Amino acid sequence: MSETPLLETRALTVRAAGRALVERLDWRVHGGERWCVIGRNGAGKSLVLRALAGLGVPAREGQVLWQGRAQQDWPVGTAATLRALMPQQAQDRFALTVERTLALSRVASSASVGDLSELMTALDIAPLAARRADQLSGGERQRVALAQCAVQGAALMLLDEPVSFQDPAHQQVVGRWLSEAATPARAWVASAHDPAWIGRVATHVLALSGDGAWQAGPASKILSAPVLERTYGCAWRNVEGTWLPA
Amino acid sequence: MTDTRGMSAPIALAPPRDRAVLRIAVLALATAVVAALALGLGAGGLDWQLIASLRAPRVAAAAGVGSLLALAGLGLQVLLRNPLADPYVLGHSTGASVGALVALLLGVQLWMGAAAGALVAGLALLWLARPALAVADDASPRLILLGAMLAALFGSVATLLLTLVPDQRLRGAIFWMVGDLSGAGASVWNLAGAGVFVAWLWARGRSVDRLMLGADAAWLLGEPVRRLRLELLLLASLAVGLAVATAGAIGFVGLVVAQGWRLAGVLRTRELAALTALSGAALVMAADLLARLVVAPLELPVGAVMSLLGAPCFIWFLVRGAK
Repeated sequence: MSETPLLETRALTVRAAGRALVERLDWRVHGGERWCVIGRNGAGKSLVLRALAGLGVPAREGQVLWQGRAQQDWPVGTAATLRALMPQQAQDRFALTVERTLALSRVASSASVGDLSELMTALDIAPLAARRADQLSGGERQRVALAQCAVQGAALMLLDEPVSFQDPAHQQVVGRWLSEAATPARAWVASAHDPAWIGRVATHVLALSGDGAWQAGPASKILSAPVLERTYGCAWRNVEGTWLPA
Repeated sequence: MTDTRGMSAPIALAPPRDRAVLRIAVLALATAVVAALALGLGAGGLDWQLIASLRAPRVAAAAGVGSLLALAGLGLQVLLRNPLADPYVLGHSTGASVGALVALLLGVQLWMGAAAGALVAGLALLWLARPALAVADDASPRLILLGAMLAALFGSVATLLLTLVPDQRLRGAIFWMVGDLSGAGASVWNLAGAGVFVAWLWARGRSVDRLMLGADAAWLLGEPVRRLRLELLLLASLAVGLAVATAGAIGFVGLVVAQGWRLAGVLRTRELAALTALSGAALVMAADLLARLVVAPLELPVGAVMSLLGAPCFIWFLVRGAK
């Protein structure tokens, strides 16, 4: 834990419509960690991920550091090797194939990803290689977006809802892949909703209340009735190890 | 369409480069044939004197203008992330016409005025469309409508300016409004400009490819997006300005050519740039040949011929749901 964190925030505040969604977030993500961000709709999960990636948000204060250095101090080319972002919704306007879309997402650090066909098989998108990305189903496109993010080979993957469109079987497929994606030099942060799925794939959880308050820690500690209740505003009960809204 | 490889083929390797080279070579040959026809056909037949002094400059102008407009279309489509973008539809050409008219009234170089007019139109569109482009939701209809309104606005300004133009210059001024090559002299600048544009697209091929994924996505992949888009806007504006200064507002070349190749499966910027430049040249040379021959000895304005060919194509793209 003494090595430089892949991601660090210092007093990061993110606002939208004049309201602080997250206030003074002090947080570190180290290699090997698998973080899920939870929070109700509009709590600021996507905005926080955008801010962490260095993209514009309506209003922000505080600092985000990648590998110990402020994000704005990294050259844009190097930044591509430090962090990747999977957006919630892909914006396809041109008829690019899946294969081409993935090829365009390769950067200098992509060599570390290894064989792309292996990745495509692991995410069950190999049969889609020659298809047009803009003509895939929502779930298929989402897995391709995850592969785009992965193929970049960045040390930190920021994933905005990687499983929201996945059927139960593919939630497992993506979950399995994500569980193995965080190596000692790598970590990911993903927004997600299902505490059961999160409990299986994440080591840590960042809970956003949407009113500025936040709580970060090991998944086992954060995934508890009081925190879930505060996060979602409804009661929760644990049925044989699985969290369900009461 | 070019991808018939199996899914096991390693990605990013073995691009269909041979086919690309073949396609470009075949198209270059076809363009040369069109140029030869345009040089050889017409009233007066094969009179070398006539060809050298009258037809050659006009054919060269047609080729240059066609390349420039087609490349401007390609550039604007990537810049605005809209395959239906076209300098004529989005008001760049009419902006250039206004600029050219102002230059005519002030007595400065036409192409400078036209390029400045195209740039102003481009910046106005970018500024107005900024909210839509930033959110990156499906802004296609809004963008096209914004462009159409800008084109209408510039068009009426151009009409108003025409009333100020002294009578002896009116003929020359109307020339740009219609889109006509009959008075166009040979200009190396058009072909040189097209060459520079292709060279830039070739050099920045991969970056421009990534811009197709979206501005945010390209930036996250390490592309200097702001600079790329600025260069693209400047090049497209300069291209439109040069073309409009030579031949007036010829429409639809920009739309039909680049998007036509995309629909045929060509999506790599490098190949697309070469094919677009060549077929833009061939298309306008052919349209001008038609304009000269169809009701000979009378001549039609090439702009009208292109619109007759291009407008149905645009409608077809829209109906087909090209996004």
